[in-house]
Amino acid sequence: MRPQPRRFPRYAVLVSLVAALALGAAFAQEEDAYRLYVANEYSADITVVDTATSEVIDTITISGRPGEVRPRGMAVSPDGRIIYVSISDFNPQIETPEDKIVAIDVSTNEVVGEFRAGGNPERVAVSPDGTQVWAALEAIAQGAGYDVATGEQLANFRVGVEAEGVAVSPDGKWVYITAEATHTVTVVDRENLEVVKHFLVGNRPRVVEFSNDGSRAYVSAEIGGTISVVDTSTHTVIETINLGLDSRPVEIAVDPTSSRIYVAGGGTSAVYVIDTTDNSLVETIREQMGRRPWGIAITPDGTRVYTANGLSDSISVIDTECLCVIGSIQAGRGAHSAEIGVIPGED
Amino acid sequence: MTRRPTSRRSMLRTVTGLIAFVALTLNATVAAQGLPAEPLRVGVVLPPETGDPLSDAVATSAASGAVMADEEFAFNAEMLGIDFAVLSREATGADAVVVAAQELVAEGAFVVAGGFSFEETAALAAWSAEEGVPYLNLGSSADVFRNEQCEATMFHVAPSAAMYLDSLAGWYVRSGYREWFFVRGTDPESSAQLQRMERGLRDRHFGARSVGEVALEPDEDPAEAVDRIRRSGATVVVLLLPAGEQVRVLGALEEADLNVVVTGFPYPEAQTRAFYDASRDTASELGSGHRASAWEATLDAYGARELNARYRLRFEDRPMETPAWAVYQAVKLGYEAAFFGGGIDADSVLGYLGSDTSVFDVWKGIGTTFRPWDGQLRQSLYLVKISASEEDPFTLATLVGELPAIYMPGTDPVERLDQIGDLAAVTRCDR
Repeated sequence: MRPQPRRFPRYAVLVSLVAALALGAAFAQEEDAYRLYVANEYSADITVVDTATSEVIDTITISGRPGEVRPRGMAVSPDGRIIYVSISDFNPQIETPEDKIVAIDVSTNEVVGEFRAGGNPERVAVSPDGTQVWAALEAIAQGAGYDVATGEQLANFRVGVEAEGVAVSPDGKWVYITAEATHTVTVVDRENLEVVKHFLVGNRPRVVEFSNDGSRAYVSAEIGGTISVVDTSTHTVIETINLGLDSRPVEIAVDPTSSRIYVAGGGTSAVYVIDTTDNSLVETIREQMGRRPWGIAITPDGTRVYTANGLSDSISVIDTECLCVIGSIQAGRGAHSAEIGVIPGED
Repeated sequence: MTRRPTSRRSMLRTVTGLIAFVALTLNATVAAQGLPAEPLRVGVVLPPETGDPLSDAVATSAASGAVMADEEFAFNAEMLGIDFAVLSREATGADAVVVAAQELVAEGAFVVAGGFSFEETAALAAWSAEEGVPYLNLGSSADVFRNEQCEATMFHVAPSAAMYLDSLAGWYVRSGYREWFFVRGTDPESSAQLQRMERGLRDRHFGARSVGEVALEPDEDPAEAVDRIRRSGATVVVLLLPAGEQVRVLGALEEADLNVVVTGFPYPEAQTRAFYDASRDTASELGSGHRASAWEATLDAYGARELNARYRLRFEDRPMETPAWAVYQAVKLGYEAAFFGGGIDADSVLGYLGSDTSVFDVWKGIGTTFRPWDGQLRQSLYLVKISASEEDPFTLATLVGELPAIYMPGTDPVERLDQIGDLAAVTRCDR
């Protein structure tokens, strides 16, 4: 005998459907949503991408004077809800009102705050408690810390010429600031607000990032083609990863879920994948990469890497499983930096 | 309990102790990074002002470059606990520059930079070889110093004539100018430039050719040259003449209403705003053409924006010109050799500069190295357009080209930069 299909009353089907939809919606709400922010240096705006769909969902105007005002480095608050953008102008030695840091609310994409940061802030970093923003002030060879709540400058320190990269250690103790022209990193004791050390790294250091546990810092040297590995307990370079002459490493994204770091190879249109357990180069991603990837960011779940490509005004999407480019998204002109904001799912 | 007042002696002891502690700490820091502990001095022989506007433009620019380098690199060194300074002497002429170099070394310079003319460079090269002092050539592009008269102690920040001429050929041929006429001087350097240029056209630009050349004595009436150019069918004329002579001949060509474009050899004087201004003032059409340059104030990428901006701010809005850039970079090369080369003895410095693993950032957006066969700094060069009407010294000229183009992913950077200039296969240098 052929089995008969079980018949459900109509109302039961309807109830099940509603229940399933509700359950699905509940599950969907529990997941965080990621927003990719790309600072466009020449169009003076920020491209916002929904990483779930890879669609541009907003463009935030930073200034009505593109070509004069330039958003560059970005940082995200520890909870992922605020993106900080360093804004400056194209006249490095002239103090203008444009030198500032703005805060963008990830849930609304509205600018919710700004404070002055004179001296051409190029990159910014946020303290782990979210109360301070630190900036590398390129034109005046200084690093400075600001109180997020008041915008007050807490301290400023002399660093090397052409300050560029800045990072705060995960334990909040140290601020590292790089200087391009001097090949140096300056270490600031954040609690005591004093410089404790300057040390040399590779040629034209750009960006510094700390490892997830804070025991190491990684400094990209664009002209040297190296990543300096720093022991943060002694602030000493303990290893230099040589990516090769003309590898042009710039921004670094530290994978929060693994031991990998991803390095944007600006002038070579490549992304270098490094395993930090042995500091070996795992992969060099070139195929389908946009031109001059300068900025790079990784989603908190570690599944996607995005690069801000300055010469193709685009964003490359990299799958961290296959370590390959799986998509490209239109950005604004002169895509410079990338950062991931988080819209928390509701419980 | 009463506190004993601090005596002057104990205060002094404390201060001395503190200083000693700081010094020890700094020395420990320095030693830990393998940095030199002794004072570092880089010597620069600068050309004095003479009253000639073009020469003075070079002198002013070079002196400013030395000031800026001193300020910035002393600042950097101080951060690392090292005493660094640029020592400079003004001198002109072969004998005087050697005396100046000797004085700089006596004052502690471990490397000397200088030489903006053929004679001075020859004298400094010979002196450096004899004394074993590392020497950085700032301004002479003469190929003979990269060949027969090369020295193991000499490195060239100044691009070679071969590099400049290859760049000019690349730019103009690509733009459709294929019939070349050369107006040269009667000196050996000018003759060598002509030979190199003709070889470049012959070997690398098959569609282009030399349609004539003429030699001019200084101040000689260029009427015959003008006539020969007119009859040659030339589309481009290259003035292989000193900067002042280039301006004079430009005037004659303009007056003759020739249907050609004109450029000239980029001697240091011919890479200044003063020259560009004189060129277009003398010949409003032919004098506002294109020029090759080792540096350009309107270069806006690779950190050059910041370097140019700092210079303008420091020196009353004057644009950074090639002589200033060359001095600044020479100081930086010396500074880095001391910091990264393991010492300031000649062997360490020369070894560091000459190593193919020593990469230098000269604000041109690509890591540069010295060619091992002739000591020439690999670098890209710039094509500059002189404005016919702009009054602002900064925008009087603007950057319009770069050769070799440095953004070429997938290509070897050394091979990329070696697209211009003479390669090892043809060198006559025995370093």
